[in-house]
Amino acid sequence: MRMKRIGAMLLACTLLGATLASCTGAESSGGATTAASTTTAAAEGGSEATPAEPAAEGGGTVHIWATGSDNVRQIFETLINEFNTNSEYAGQYTAVLNFQPSGTGQAAMTDGLAAAYQAGQENTEYDLVDFSGDDLSKIIALVGEDSFLPLDDTMIPNRGNVAAKSSVAPDRVQPYRGTTVILAYDSEKVPEPPKTLDELVAWMEANPGRFVYNVPGTGGAGDSFVRTSVYNYLPEEAITSADEQWVEQWDEGFEFLKSINPYMYSSGGSIVYPNKNQGSLDLLNQGEIDMCPNWADMVLSQRASGELRESIKITQIDPSFTGSLQTLAIPTIGSNPEGAAAFINFMITPEAQQIMVQQMAAIPLIDTSSMDMSGYEDLQGLDVSNFRIMSIGNLGTTFNERWDNEIAPLASIPE
Amino acid sequence: MSKRIKQLVVAYGMVLPAFLTVMLTVAYPIALAVVRSFRDQSTGAFTFSNYTFFFTTAAQFKNLVYTLFVVVMTVAIAIFVAYLLALYLRFSHSRISRTIGALYLLPRFVPAMCAVYAMITIIRDSGLINRIGLLFGKDIHLGLMYHAQGLIVMNLWFNIPFAAMMITAGLGAIPDSIIEGARDVGAGRFKVLTSMILPLSVKDVIIAATFVWMTNVGSFTTPYLMGGNSPKMLGIALFDQFNKYLSYNRAAALSVIMFLICAVSAGVYIYSNLKDTEWEMQ
Repeated sequence: MRMKRIGAMLLACTLLGATLASCTGAESSGGATTAASTTTAAAEGGSEATPAEPAAEGGGTVHIWATGSDNVRQIFETLINEFNTNSEYAGQYTAVLNFQPSGTGQAAMTDGLAAAYQAGQENTEYDLVDFSGDDLSKIIALVGEDSFLPLDDTMIPNRGNVAAKSSVAPDRVQPYRGTTVILAYDSEKVPEPPKTLDELVAWMEANPGRFVYNVPGTGGAGDSFVRTSVYNYLPEEAITSADEQWVEQWDEGFEFLKSINPYMYSSGGSIVYPNKNQGSLDLLNQGEIDMCPNWADMVLSQRASGELRESIKITQIDPSFTGSLQTLAIPTIGSNPEGAAAFINFMITPEAQQIMVQQMAAIPLIDTSSMDMSGYEDLQGLDVSNFRIMSIGNLGTTFNERWDNEIAPLASIPE
Repeated sequence: MSKRIKQLVVAYGMVLPAFLTVMLTVAYPIALAVVRSFRDQSTGAFTFSNYTFFFTTAAQFKNLVYTLFVVVMTVAIAIFVAYLLALYLRFSHSRISRTIGALYLLPRFVPAMCAVYAMITIIRDSGLINRIGLLFGKDIHLGLMYHAQGLIVMNLWFNIPFAAMMITAGLGAIPDSIIEGARDVGAGRFKVLTSMILPLSVKDVIIAATFVWMTNVGSFTTPYLMGGNSPKMLGIALFDQFNKYLSYNRAAALSVIMFLICAVSAGVYIYSNLKDTEWEMQ
């Protein structure tokens, strides 16, 4: 009896101790490397530079960092596999992917990288990092251009084949694929799609209920439509500025959005804006509307897999919707710049570009004449050298709130 | 150390880990959220403005009324239909009733997202019903999508089986013998229902109603995929506050408001339980 009680007491003490220990443990490790410790690989990279394990002959391991949706992970896995086994660098370098799914922690990858810089770490595993347009602006704002190695043709011989230039730090990052919002339309119902915004508006007025954009804040296509609509009335520099002064000049653009509201999709007697990019795309595919803004890669990859009807095509209007370039950059705190440069060079070969076209309908940045574009011919018409980039930073939040307050309530008033 | 103190130490020692976990992961965040809801986001000063915002802004107040409308309609219709279903399952012993009894819980095992998309493909203006109508030359537009009626239909799909399950369990506890007894002394079917079955099962009905109420006040998936832009249900309005506008303090205030709306039903639930305990003690 007595023994039992002592045993129980011991157990209770151990449990209590364990609870407390795990609490303090979590706290003490949650210092500078919190952001970087999302994955175990990241934790290693953040704390100490572990030398590359199975040092392949010569070049060693290249750690590549990327974040995004699952299709980004898949494309990187395919490309890294190709790089390691089939490219000219096979056997020389071994690329390894550190992937952070988006949504699990907003901008965890850029925060982790910035934390590593600010903690003064060197020789980390941040050998090569993949950035979206937004992430790139953010990291440059946090740590400055000088935190990335300048790139040139001797390091990356294929660099000359890419015409597109990043608007931020063009000498230090390498664009390797593009993505843009386009106008998706049903070619059976609209044989001649509009070429300009004015033509699009005229078409909406002539065909009420056959166009819609998704609610801004629920998907990039809707964001791009409403923001370009408003910023078409502002000077060109405004679209890449987060300065509060531009907010006062939004009125004209919002009046425009109000004026087209009665011609939007309606259901059950009221105007409706669907949630998410997929929401408007579904309406298009079901034939409830004939046109909507959407992402080029989303439309084309769904059409290729048979989810969308063959008659759904894409086009760009003038002034265009926004797009962005995906770029690779070599942090100065990485430990394998030669391997990183080799991987960048591989990414802009026709072989790698072809994989990106076929697997994710990315817009290729090199000459497509030597590539098999079957099924993705629409991509060739998109001009990547002239992407309209948008980055209005925190103004986006104010923008969406204003849309919700001014445009969404109109929705209940049908034409 | 006396025996009693030792016993106390052991007892509290055993409870402490669970207690601390609950305090750290549930009570502490709730307390933080409540404190935050009374603070101004930029200055941190004490304010009621996060709360008044939801009652004085027209669009937000509409969201509140809209949510209550959807939830009240869902509860009322779900409970009514579920009660009829439960009565049928309890008192009919036919093959059909046994089949329904075996099948009616199936919807509980369908993931919410699949169910919502399935419903959308059926009721949308270009959905299954519309296509069947077209075969007969009728262009049917139900207009359910993006409107309260559509949300209620979807909520019923989720909640009727659940409510029926709870009520059926309650009805199962009523012995056949007392109903037969009542019939023997001349009570008609209607009299048996109103004076025996209803009073004996009212507690289960209340419990089922409180659960349906609580799960629908904060619902997100259904209104996100099927709801319109304005008004919105509170779950979406809350998502907007913290995810789109980054107004964490207003989001905290709205959470408290939603908690209080749920608390109405929690109060009813606790009250009906207490009454029951009193009755047992007598």
